[in-house]
Amino acid sequence: MFINYIKIAFRNLLKNKGFSVINITGLAIGMASAILILLWINHETSYDQFHEKKDRIYEAWHRAEFSGELQCWNTTPKVLAGAMQKDLPEVETTARVNWRNMKLFTVGDKSLMSGGNIVDSTFFRVFSFQPLKGNLETALMNNDGIVLTRSLALSLFGTEDVLGKIVKIDQEENAIVTAVVEDPPKNTRFNFEYLLPWSNMRKMQGDESNWQNNSIRTYVLLRPNTNLAGVQEKMKTFRVKYVPDEPKWQMFIYPISKWRLYSNFENGKESGGNILYVRIFAVTAAFILLIACINFMNLSTARSEKRAREVGIRKVVGAMKSSLVAQFIGESILVAGIAGLLALLIVILSLPAFNQLTSKELMIDFADPTFWGLFIAFILITGILAGSYPAFFLSSFKPTRVLKGAFNKSNATVSPRKVLVVTQFSFAIILIMCTIVVRKQLLHAQNRNAGYDKDKLVYHMMNGDLYKNYTLVKNELLESGIASSVTKTSAPLTQAWRDTWGIQWAGKDPNDKTDFDIFSSDENLAKTAGLQLVHGRDFDLAKYPTDSMGMLINESAMKAMNLKDPIGKEIFDGDEKFHVVGVFRDFIIQSPFYPTKPMLIEGAGPNWFNTIHFKLSNSGTVADNVRKAESIFKKYNPSYPFEFKFIDAEYDAKFAGEKRVATLSWLFSFLTIFISCLGLFGLATYMTATRTKEIGVRKVLGASVTSISGMLSKDFLKLVLISVFIGCPIAWWAMNNWLDNYPYRTGIEWWLFLLTAGIAMLIALATVSYQAIRAALSNPVKSLRSE
Amino acid sequence: MIKISNLEKIYRTEDVETVALNKLSFEVKDGEFVAVMGPSGCGKSTLLNILGLLDDPDSGSFLFNGIEVAGFNERKRADLRKRNIGFVFQSFNLIDELTVFENVELPLIYTGVKAAERKKIVEDVLDKMVIMHRRNHYPQQLSGGQQQRVAVARAVVNNPKLILADEPTGNLDSSNGNEVMQLLTDLNEQGTTIVMVTHSEHDARYSHRIIRMLDGQTVMQDLMV
Repeated sequence: MFINYIKIAFRNLLKNKGFSVINITGLAIGMASAILILLWINHETSYDQFHEKKDRIYEAWHRAEFSGELQCWNTTPKVLAGAMQKDLPEVETTARVNWRNMKLFTVGDKSLMSGGNIVDSTFFRVFSFQPLKGNLETALMNNDGIVLTRSLALSLFGTEDVLGKIVKIDQEENAIVTAVVEDPPKNTRFNFEYLLPWSNMRKMQGDESNWQNNSIRTYVLLRPNTNLAGVQEKMKTFRVKYVPDEPKWQMFIYPISKWRLYSNFENGKESGGNILYVRIFAVTAAFILLIACINFMNLSTARSEKRAREVGIRKVVGAMKSSLVAQFIGESILVAGIAGLLALLIVILSLPAFNQLTSKELMIDFADPTFWGLFIAFILITGILAGSYPAFFLSSFKPTRVLKGAFNKSNATVSPRKVLVVTQFSFAIILIMCTIVVRKQLLHAQNRNAGYDKDKLVYHMMNGDLYKNYTLVKNELLESGIASSVTKTSAPLTQAWRDTWGIQWAGKDPNDKTDFDIFSSDENLAKTAGLQLVHGRDFDLAKYPTDSMGMLINESAMKAMNLKDPIGKEIFDGDEKFHVVGVFRDFIIQSPFYPTKPMLIEGAGPNWFNTIHFKLSNSGTVADNVRKAESIFKKYNPSYPFEFKFIDAEYDAKFAGEKRVATLSWLFSFLTIFISCLGLFGLATYMTATRTKEIGVRKVLGASVTSISGMLSKDFLKLVLISVFIGCPIAWWAMNNWLDNYPYRTGIEWWLFLLTAGIAMLIALATVSYQAIRAALSNPVKSLRSE
Repeated sequence: MIKISNLEKIYRTEDVETVALNKLSFEVKDGEFVAVMGPSGCGKSTLLNILGLLDDPDSGSFLFNGIEVAGFNERKRADLRKRNIGFVFQSFNLIDELTVFENVELPLIYTGVKAAERKKIVEDVLDKMVIMHRRNHYPQQLSGGQQQRVAVARAVVNNPKLILADEPTGNLDSSNGNEVMQLLTDLNEQGTTIVMVTHSEHDARYSHRIIRMLDGQTVMQDLMV
C-alpha cells in the first residue's frame, strides 16, 4: 500500500508541475529560514554549556540600592574569592578573571598585540577548555608562566609545539609557555588568546585587599550536591561581615546556565536579556514555516476537485477514511522531504551570508547523527503540519457525490482558505510594519546631532613609548601638517569609562546622587573634537598652566549642579579640586539612543591618559596623512604596531545592533511576503481557472477586460485589507514595546499604517493581476466550448 | 442476496425536499441479473448507492445476505463493501495517475492481500478481460471500451458476490457496449449477482428481470425469458 501511495504522490507532483514548484519552493524557503533561525537559537542557548562542571559553576554578583532602585552588577573585589573559600564550606574553589587586556607579545623580531586575561591558577579546574600541550592543572601555578591559544602560538612561533619557549610581554617581562589550549569556541563568554597567572596582577596594579574596588569577576565552583538556597542565604550577608558600614550591599551567585540569555536585571529582578531575541526569533521561525505550510494547505484544498474523484474511487473499492488520511499525509511528508533537502542546500549556500549578518560562526555538523535525527523530525513535523488539514478535508468527500461530478464548491463567506490567506498576510503586514519602524528608528538616531565633529577624527591608544614620547609625537604631527590638533584623553570619545555620584560643589543638596560621566584631557579637546563651547574656553596649558586643574562641563552638568554662572566655580572629585573654565554643548559619548548625561572633563593634573586623539588636517588626502602618521608613531614607539581608529567608524558601530535588527527584519519580511505571494499566485491561478466559464459568459455579455480583471483581483484585495486591520494593531503594539527600550525614540505616525497597507496591497495586486488579466484577455469562445 | 423493504431516502436543501426513494421494496436473489430502468431523477442512482453501501437510507430495511445493514456506520459499510461488492460506472472512474495494473490492484490492496498474490490475481483477471497487453498503460492511453474492461476487471478482482453497474455502456459505442454486456453476462453465468442501472432497453434485455422505477417507487417488473 505504501509503495502505491509514494507512486501516486510522485505522479501527482509531476503531473502538476506548476503547483509542485510553488509548493516545494515555498516550503523549502520556509524550512530554510526556520533551519537558519534554529541554528542561531541553538548557538545562543549553547553558550558555556560545554564545561564539564557546568551544573556547579556560578558567578558572584552584587545587589544594592542606588537612588531608590536596586542595581545588580557582576564585578567584585579581588579579596572576595579568598574570603568565600575560607568562609563557605560549600565552595569547592573559586577562579578570578580580570578584564580582557591587550598586550604586546614579542618573539624574536615578531611583535603583535593580543587580548587575554589574568586568571587564578584554578581557572581550568572550573572551566573546561581543550588542552593541546602541557598540563592545565599546573600551567598557571608558575608565576612566570603563560598559556597561549593555538592561534596565538601559531602566529608567534609558527607551531603549536612551544612548551618552555619564552615570550616577551609589553617589552618588559619574559614569560615561559606552560600550556597551549585550543582557541575558545564561539559559544563562550571567555574570549582570550592568552592567560596569565594571577601573580601578574600583583606586578601590574597591586593585588589589593580593598573591598571597595570592584574590578574583577569572581567565579565559584560549588561542591556536588550543595544546597543552593543555603549558599544564597549566606551570600546575602557575606559582604557585610567585611564591610559593616555598608549593610545594604548584598551578594548572590548566578548560575552559568543563565549568563548568556537572562543576565539583565531591573530593580534587582531578572528581566530577561538575549532570551527576548531567542523568543522573537523562535516565533518568527514558527510563523515563516507556518506560512509556507499554509501555501501547501491552500493549494492542496483548492485543487481538491481534481482529487475528489480519486478519493471517491478509492472509497468505493474499499478504502477507509483513515487510510486516505494516511495517504495524503504521506504525500505531504514526501513534499516536505523534497523541500527539506532543497532547504538544506539553501542553508548551506546562505550560511556564510547569514553568519556575516548575525556576526556568528554557525555551522552544521553533518557527521552528527543528532542533526539528521532532528532534520528528519523537522520534515515529519512540517509534513504533518502542512498535510493534516488537506488530508482530513480531502478524505471526507462522499463518493456518492464526487463520482457524479456533483462536487460542491464552498461559497461560504468565511472559508478556511480565506482564513489561511488572511493569517499569511497579517503576518506579512506585521513584518512590513516592523521593518519600516525599525528603519525609521535607526535613521532617527543616526540623524541625531552627535554634538561634535567626527570627521577625520582619529584616535590611538597609549602604549609602549607613547607615554614618554607623547609631546614629540604631538609636535611632529602638528609640524608636518598631518594633524590640525592633538589631544590626549582618558578614553576614546565614543566610550565612557568612568562615572561617579561622588562629585561635590558648593550648594549641593546632600541627598543629590546625580551620576556624572567623568572624562579627562590635557588641552585643546574642544578644538580637536569640535565641541561647541557655550561659555568660557577650551583647555590651554601653554597660556593658562592652571588649566591642569581646570574643568569643562556640559550643559546637562551645569543644569544638574544648578550653576547660574559656572565659570570659575570649584568642583571636587574626591580630594581633587577643579575650577570650571568652560561649558560645552552635550555630546553623545555613550548610546545615541539615550539622552546625554551630565559630564565633566577634568584637566591633566591628577589624571592618567589612555588615548591620543588627533584631527587630520584638510591638506593632503586622508590615506596619505594616515600613512605619514604611522611613520611618526613607528618612529617614537617602534615596538608597537600602529593601530588607529576613526571616530566616525566607532560611532557608527554603536548602531550595529539596531542595523542588524533592521536587516534581519527586512530579510524576514521579504521572505514572508515572497512565500505568501507564491501561495497567492498559485491560488489566483487556480481560482481564475475554475471561473473560466463565468468569465466567458461575462465577456459574451459585454464585460470589459478591466472590469473582469478588477472583479478577479477584488476578492484577493479584500482579504489583504482584512489582514491590514488585523496586522496593523499587532505591529503597533509590538513596535511600541520595542521602542520603549529607547529613551530617544521615533514615533509611529498614522501614515506608517497607510504606507504598510499600500505596500501590501500593491504587492498582492501585482501578484494576482497577472492571472486576472490573462484570464480576462482569454477568448470566451474557448472557455465556453470546453463545457 | 438483497431484500429491501419500505426503503426511504429524502434529500433536503433549504427550500426543497426531494423524495428520492419512496417506500421502495424488492428482492434480488443469488445469481440473478437485474436491470433497473426509469427516467432521470426517478431514484435509480440513489438506489444503487444504497445497495452499494455508499449511502444510508433514512428509513426502511435493507437485508444484505440476511444481515440488516441499514444503520451500519461508515467503517462497517466500507468493510462489507470491499469484500462483497464490485462497481462498474458509466464514466469508468479509473484513477488517471495509476496504470491499468495498479487500478485493478487497488481493491486487493485495501483488503490486505499480499503483493505476490495480488500480482497473480490481477494478471489472471487482466487475462480474462483480454487487456493484459495494456497492463502498464495509463487510462488516458486506452479507448473507452478498453477503459470499461479495466473497470470491470477492477470490479471483479475481489471475487465479489454482487456487481453494481451504473449505465456501464453509457459512454461506449454499440460494439464496445455489447462487448461489456457480454462480459457481465459471462460473470453472471459464473454465479455473480448483478444489478445494473440502465437507460438502454437493448442492454436491459441481457438481464433476467427489469425493475422499472418512477418517482422513487417500482412501477412494474418485467420478467425476461
